[in-house]
Amino acid sequence: MTTETVAAGAVLADITAMLRELLEEYGQDDAEIGRDTKFHDDLELESIDLVTLSGRLRDHYGDKVNFAEFIAERELDEIIALTVGELVDHVVASLDGKA
Amino acid sequence: MAKVKVGDLDVHVQRLGPSDGTAPVVVFVHGLLTDSLASYYFTLGPAFAAQGIDVVMYDLRGHGRTTRPVGGYRLEEFVADLDGLLTALGIDRPVHVAGNSFGGSIAFGLAASRPERVASVVAIEAEPPTRAWAGHMAEGLADAKNRLARDEVIGWIAENHGAHTARLSKSAYKILAATTLAEDIPLSRTIDDDLAAVRCPVFALFGDRSGLSAQVPDLEANLGRCRTVVLPDQGHSVLVERTAETSELILGWVREHSCETAA
Repeated sequence: MTTETVAAGAVLADITAMLRELLEEYGQDDAEIGRDTKFHDDLELESIDLVTLSGRLRDHYGDKVNFAEFIAERELDEIIALTVGELVDHVVASLDGKA
Repeated sequence: MAKVKVGDLDVHVQRLGPSDGTAPVVVFVHGLLTDSLASYYFTLGPAFAAQGIDVVMYDLRGHGRTTRPVGGYRLEEFVADLDGLLTALGIDRPVHVAGNSFGGSIAFGLAASRPERVASVVAIEAEPPTRAWAGHMAEGLADAKNRLARDEVIGWIAENHGAHTARLSKSAYKILAATTLAEDIPLSRTIDDDLAAVRCPVFALFGDRSGLSAQVPDLEANLGRCRTVVLPDQGHSVLVERTAETSELILGWVREHSCETAA
């Protein structure tokens, strides 16, 4: 196992925990969350939830992870189709200084 | 997530860029029902902050993560919230208020009632809150409340505009069903048609396929300092569909009008 896959696994666990906390507010505590999970279609999160997630990512990882910029660079249909795995990859790349 | 107490509300605020008291302040105001500060947080917000602007974004009452009271949705109440928010944030120098759609009407409303607060109004696909505006809002809101209550309408939206738009429509209906917003907005205090109450510079941006662009001659005739831009081949969703152009145009406007604020 490379260092990167270890990191990606840890980041996936972090993000899953953040999402669970968000979803609990909506009384949704049984959602399955994996790399292929879509924020909009599968978790029914709205863009304002992504703002909250963005804040949690910054609190957790610091300013290296800029989720707002990551989203700003994408078209609306790409944002709607965004998966947890894509966000994990972005966080890993940001932490490695490659994003 | 930052919550700021304004009157009885907990207002969700996001601030980006320098908040050192010297940078120009741009307050972004979102539109009704399907909207929240996310529309700016993921578009103009980061771009403006990167250019050294103190960016304030907030969720309107009843929207996003701000408190949703049952009543109190006349325009002047939205305007008072914005005024109170600026006080709560300790911002006392004039700010540029950029509003999309209904958010633009709030920007005009603040400029009319608290002129000392506003360096300029940036209205994206928006109308000043005149009696004609109140009439359009009454019609549109009654129609939305009536139609969105029906499952077959949501089904039609899903089929023709996709699941995402259908979900937005459902959350729009949640606000309409839980509050008196649709009834309150038409009862808002309005400003006179001659727009004499608006004395600051105004930048108004429209899409040519939107009915709102028909206001251009009136705005130019009535407002002392007004610039209008109509984007070709564009409907109401200027902010979402023409983000890059919108960002550039507004940044240029703010830069140009920040020198006189600082002076």
